[in-house]
Amino acid sequence: MEYDAIVVGGGHAGIEASLALSRLQFSTLLITQSLDAIGRLSCNPAIGGLSKGNIVREIDALGGQMGHLIDHTMIQFRILNQRRGPAVQAPRAQADKFAYSQLAKYVVESEKNLSIFQDTVVDILLDSSGHTAAGVITERGHHIRSRVVVLTTGTFMEGRIFIGAYESPSGRLGEPAAIGLGRALREKGFQVGRMKTGTPARVRKSSLDFTRMEEQPGDSVMQPFSFTEDVISRPSSPCWITHTNNVTHAVIRENIGTSPLFSGKISGIGPRYCPSIEDKVVKFPDRDRHQIFVEPEGLNTEEMYLNGISSSLPESVQEKFIHSVPGLEHAEIMRPGYAVEYDYLDPTQLYPSLETKRISGLFTAGQTNGTSGYEEAAGQGLLAGINAARKLQNRDPLILSRAEAYIGVLVDDLVTKGTEEPYRMFTSRAEYRLNLRHDTADQRLTPKGFEIGLCKRERLDRLSEKLRKCDEIRELLRKHAADGKNWLQNLKNPEISITDAFGQIPDLTVYDTEVLRHVELDIKYAGYIDRQNRQVSRFSRMERIKIPIDYDYSAIEGISNESKEKLERIRPLSAGQASRISGVRNSDIAVLMVLLGRGRG
Amino acid sequence: METGYYDTDELITALATPWGESALAAVRTSGNGCIEAASVCFSRSEAIAAAESGTIQYALMCDPATGEAVDEVTAAVYRAPSGYTGQDSVEIFCHGSLPGIQRILEILHAAGFRDARPGEFTLRAFINGKLDLTRAEAVQELVTAKSRKAHSLALGRLSGNLFREIDAVKQQLVELLSAVEVQLDYAEDEIEELVAIPADHLRLLQQTAARLAETYRTGRLYAEGARVVLAGRTNSGKSSLFNLFLKEDRSIVSEIHGTTRDYIESWITVRGVPIRLFDTAGYRFAEDVIEAEGIRRSEKIAGAADLVLYLIDGSRGLAAGEKKDLQKTFKNIPTLLIWNKTDISHEAPPAGSIAVSAVSGAGFADLEKAIITRLAGKDISQETDSMIDSLRQKELLEQAAEYLAAAADSIDERMPLDITAPEIAGAIDALGEITGEITSADILDKIFSGFCVGK
Repeated sequence: MEYDAIVVGGGHAGIEASLALSRLQFSTLLITQSLDAIGRLSCNPAIGGLSKGNIVREIDALGGQMGHLIDHTMIQFRILNQRRGPAVQAPRAQADKFAYSQLAKYVVESEKNLSIFQDTVVDILLDSSGHTAAGVITERGHHIRSRVVVLTTGTFMEGRIFIGAYESPSGRLGEPAAIGLGRALREKGFQVGRMKTGTPARVRKSSLDFTRMEEQPGDSVMQPFSFTEDVISRPSSPCWITHTNNVTHAVIRENIGTSPLFSGKISGIGPRYCPSIEDKVVKFPDRDRHQIFVEPEGLNTEEMYLNGISSSLPESVQEKFIHSVPGLEHAEIMRPGYAVEYDYLDPTQLYPSLETKRISGLFTAGQTNGTSGYEEAAGQGLLAGINAARKLQNRDPLILSRAEAYIGVLVDDLVTKGTEEPYRMFTSRAEYRLNLRHDTADQRLTPKGFEIGLCKRERLDRLSEKLRKCDEIRELLRKHAADGKNWLQNLKNPEISITDAFGQIPDLTVYDTEVLRHVELDIKYAGYIDRQNRQVSRFSRMERIKIPIDYDYSAIEGISNESKEKLERIRPLSAGQASRISGVRNSDIAVLMVLLGRGRG
Repeated sequence: METGYYDTDELITALATPWGESALAAVRTSGNGCIEAASVCFSRSEAIAAAESGTIQYALMCDPATGEAVDEVTAAVYRAPSGYTGQDSVEIFCHGSLPGIQRILEILHAAGFRDARPGEFTLRAFINGKLDLTRAEAVQELVTAKSRKAHSLALGRLSGNLFREIDAVKQQLVELLSAVEVQLDYAEDEIEELVAIPADHLRLLQQTAARLAETYRTGRLYAEGARVVLAGRTNSGKSSLFNLFLKEDRSIVSEIHGTTRDYIESWITVRGVPIRLFDTAGYRFAEDVIEAEGIRRSEKIAGAADLVLYLIDGSRGLAAGEKKDLQKTFKNIPTLLIWNKTDISHEAPPAGSIAVSAVSGAGFADLEKAIITRLAGKDISQETDSMIDSLRQKELLEQAAEYLAAAADSIDERMPLDITAPEIAGAIDALGEITGEITSADILDKIFSGFCVGK
């Protein structure tokens, strides 16, 4: 067997990577440990959220798959943070987990250049130079050759699950870990660390008392994530909210010693932003309650997800504390919560293309790189797939800047700064977030997606159509006045909305809500957007000063050894990236620029 | 994050000659649109703006805001690719008095120039191909050496108290920003505690930043001192007062009017402030040519003063027309009226004057206090060491204050939080340039330690 490309892992990163490679006409093999687990939502049954929703739309704008998958499987939709400002609104959808995974499997199966094979990868094959990937070795002894390999191993690489005293080599509960690959990578010289994450119990819907919970409905109108869809018409299910109480906390405190997190069994670092319930109780002793969202896992299932109380306490303790919560008194636990610890590669070993510096042709994405979240994984998977394809095409890699995409911020942070805990995207990580609105992802990225070859001509046409509509709306607003000011001026007032103009300008009502909203935000925040654009143009100048990939830092006189060592390790591709390496002095960057003798452009 | 260092288009300026009193000094400027931007600071704006590359123009350096002439200068105009940096630049040759140079730099700052960072002119010269590699390598040493020194200098300059004060403002802003960012990083249903951002608190911090920026005047006063000139009609007791300040007999004290024909000067210290004190010839209708020349010179000296102490002979009172002359002569110069000879005076001193006896020393303490208060613009006798003496720090503090005002305004205007957040972040960045950087990771740390977040 021989392919152009092999993608290891069928999660959210693997799906995007394998689809991108095969759609760019490379014969691709997707190897997964279980065909039935392709596109599985291992934790919460939702896609999107603040900054993550933006990533999904960026993936879509580049020609990725995630937006389509959620558009056809959502069972609730909300735009979050409408009132907190234009830059931080984002779409989030509850997903039918089973439908999502099934659709994902069907999409990869339907792709003509993509083969799918169930096995476990235990090692990477190298060519005679020892520095270039040449395929993989599987558990069942297959040697499969390829020119590039993309690793998206999720929580499976040397994965280990913990529930109280119970421990098992698994990536998810009931699914065996991939043993051997982590050790093989260590032997090849990679820095491999351990990370930890957790998930809460799933309980049976018919055993819950919803009268004791608060209902949380979705928005009345579902909106598509994909820029290729106009409307979404799907059934909407509510979520419910309940709270822990002092009894819950007392149960957890009494049994804290039985949690593998506190007994010292787990060495991996867990995410601070998504702590287990035992972490919350210990860290915030003054709080008398914590929120729990009770979310459906799908339309045709009784399983409900208890968002907010991930735990690795023994099952008997989980049962006891869950039963102390209003509405969950008689909850029947169908799957317990657990913690999982797994291997990840220190992402500073990667170039911004997501190719490893150590082995040419080996790309990594998702939790393998120390991130957390379906969206972060998919974004990297798409980028790794595109760049693996571009490597095969002998083209320059696609590197997105911090000013043009959350995916750019994500990758730059990872490869420049590394991460100590599972890395999740936050809006506050993006300096230029006013420019990264979810509704502008198509403007930002679709032309690139077209150039890469993943976006069809129709997408570009749709984009021009949208921009034309925006111009028409602006023109209508300019032509009509109220109180001596035209509507372009009126909309600057934070109290006035574009819908207030409908009475006077009935022509506006023919446009889609999203386009109207888009124009409204552009007008309302024009001053701030201009200011941000000026900052971006300063930022971009530094990004354009390139550093050769094989630059010899050891020969430089006059910069500190500490900076030298860091530059050597990170191998930044631009002066801008170099300036973001923590601990490298400004003056050292200046010297570097002097020696590069560049920046004239 | 500081990217300005590498921005090779921004307008920059710096004193190219050593910081000290000298006959002549050179102030360099460079950047995109430099000639146009600088031209407004000269009396012959149009001639400068239209000047050919490599020519030298004579002009008065003027404050564009007031039209006030500051110095007679010559300006060398270079257009890209000529000149040291290879981009448009103006080199200004001015007189080497520290207050004068300071004024010129301030005028350039107001016109859009910022202080160049160490090695920045040379960096631009290299980038624009004006230096070859061997010279650039020498320059590279300079860049590192200078910036390291500049860094330690900058740190050394910040006194413990001042650092603590600025840092305290910054820390409060970090708290406030993390309270804003947590609401932007998590959906409305994910965090239960919502913290309102009090505009009042921001305004308070804005005032603190502005007050610290204000101490620049005091800081500079201690660092560079001031010129104080004794003036007044002949025999009003200027030399006696001069001697009292010196506590040593250096000038001739006599009863004959007009003894001090030219002027004499000395460095003294008044309450810790270094003062260059001038004793001038008296003002009187002079027939004596030498004395007339002395009077003319003393008027010139008084014109360059930070403060004039105008003495009135209290035993004779104000002479006819003296008040009018006084107002005319010292129109634009801060002046203190000194009612001297209280030991033999029978009149009550006029309102606003300081009563002293240069002979007995009575009232001298009040006089010292009045001088310092007048020079500093406020009573600084209670102030400790919280003051800044670098223009760059002053500008950063002012920048922080501006950001905070904008942040508070955006709250008052009910702008959404994500508009307010970057303003607060801007203030933190500005303060961070003085005391050390704060990164977005620091903000996230604050969020995770202070808020119970996450579903």
